[in-house]
Amino acid sequence: MTAFTAITRVTIRQTLRVRRFIGLGLLSLSVAGTYLLTSLGQRRGGGDPDTAFDIFLGMTIGTFMNIIVPVVTLIIATAVLGEERRDNTMSFLVLRPVRRTTIAAAKVTAAFLEAFALTGMGAIGFGIVASIRMETWEYFVPLLVGTAVATAAYAAVFVPLGYLLKRATLIGLTYLFIWENGIAGAVPAVAGISPWRIGVSAAAGLAPDRFFEELPDFAVGSLTPGAGGATAKAIVLMMLSTAAVTWILFKRDLAT
Amino acid sequence: MTPETNPALVANPTVEVSEVSKWFGQKVAVSGVNCSFGPGLTGLLGPNGAGKTTLLRMLTGLTLPSQGDVLVKGERPRSQIDRYRDIGFVPEESALYNTLTGKQYVTYAAQLSGVAAPGQAADNALETVGLTADADRPVGGFSKGMRQRAKVAAALVHQPEILVLDEPLNGTDPVQRAHLIALFRDLANRGNTVIVSSHVLQEVERMTDRVIAIVDGKLAAAGDISAIRRAMSDIPYRVAIECDKPRHLGAALIDHDAVFSVTIDRKALHVETSDLSMLGTSIAGLAQRLDTRLSRFAPEDESLESVFRYLVERR
Repeated sequence: MTAFTAITRVTIRQTLRVRRFIGLGLLSLSVAGTYLLTSLGQRRGGGDPDTAFDIFLGMTIGTFMNIIVPVVTLIIATAVLGEERRDNTMSFLVLRPVRRTTIAAAKVTAAFLEAFALTGMGAIGFGIVASIRMETWEYFVPLLVGTAVATAAYAAVFVPLGYLLKRATLIGLTYLFIWENGIAGAVPAVAGISPWRIGVSAAAGLAPDRFFEELPDFAVGSLTPGAGGATAKAIVLMMLSTAAVTWILFKRDLAT
Repeated sequence: MTPETNPALVANPTVEVSEVSKWFGQKVAVSGVNCSFGPGLTGLLGPNGAGKTTLLRMLTGLTLPSQGDVLVKGERPRSQIDRYRDIGFVPEESALYNTLTGKQYVTYAAQLSGVAAPGQAADNALETVGLTADADRPVGGFSKGMRQRAKVAAALVHQPEILVLDEPLNGTDPVQRAHLIALFRDLANRGNTVIVSSHVLQEVERMTDRVIAIVDGKLAAAGDISAIRRAMSDIPYRVAIECDKPRHLGAALIDHDAVFSVTIDRKALHVETSDLSMLGTSIAGLAQRLDTRLSRFAPEDESLESVFRYLVERR
């Protein structure tokens, strides 16, 4: 087993505790439950697939991509380095003949895999319920891909934060509130570095045109729909994150 | 300075510490330390908070010096990560992945160190520290002594040439302690550089003759432990003596050859002496001659910290 695989595996074991997995799993799946309840309400009121689509769109951009995915990813991604520091295991990890880049890449990868295991579970649950209600499965894969892209982009942002800040979760929530829901919504030009909007653009690129046409402006900013471009952006963010963590491991005092 | 003129230096160093200082904001943790370590076992001795841990962290590259340089086999380990093949480090703090079993923990160390057969190496290392029977238990449930031994196993698994151990005997019982000391001595006898920190002088005495003593971040003494012992014998001991006629006894003690000073308060005499045993053997006869009854004779200040502080002050 390579050092990369070993670090990724142990990181997931270190951070994915049973209670955390259950808690975040339920949070992730809550959007499916909420959609189901809303959908049942609509059915009693004579709801149709069009209304179901409107609810799906609203919940995708307003609840799932905007709250569930970032919060779940924030908690997981800040833990992958934060818990090494908290458990004093940093010396165990870094005083080994392993390239700093390998450690950084493994940490970012572990954050993505672990967070996506949870957000993906939520996307699958939400996608199934919504597809049944909308009477079409055309949005299922776009939702899953958009979730993966957004999770990757958020993981890239939050992994270095977890090592640099002791109150990374709080700072991360502030970032979500100010940047994602404030600045990046008000200034369309910066949507290219907003994980939420990168994820939405990935979903819009694969979904039927109606998805993009009915998106509010703030949800995608200046981005054009496209899964390839969005995936590339997320990969670039993960590479930048890896570079940042590598730099931290070279320059910072690793005992504190 | 050469090893001949400076006992803090060795002839064939594997680890060189050159005028190293480390400060955290206003606090100076290590100040201008110049020493080296070579094959064999060296005890890094000092009271709690003396700067031992910071110095060891700088040796391994975990912490960067604010000033000066640390070289391991001629290179800075942090910029030459291959040097970590030669270093095994046991930190003072827990440093365990609590969800892993003992075997998984040490195997992980072997994998990261590039050992060819990590599972086999882990088995050997666990056997060396006497943890084979508990290898499949999660380390989170280990006792303090077992945790220490698991960390030692993880540090040894890649058979490093240099072993840096920060208070490795903390929390171990006497049997485990004897086993670990024998292990460290054996490694040193085989030509490894073993650096062990401790705040317990007797503990270090059982392991090695070569000591580097550090106090308040400064090198206080270095070299043969008997020389440090001799230096420590110059320290005046303080003794509290309680009796029913303190003024009489105090006046008599002033003339005693081994007594530097005597002060009297309401309860006791406080005596500074250069020879505790001489005072102890003569005090009974003196009391009998003065017809005074001794109720207490106790050293007031035996702490290692005061000994070290004395060593620093007299530099």
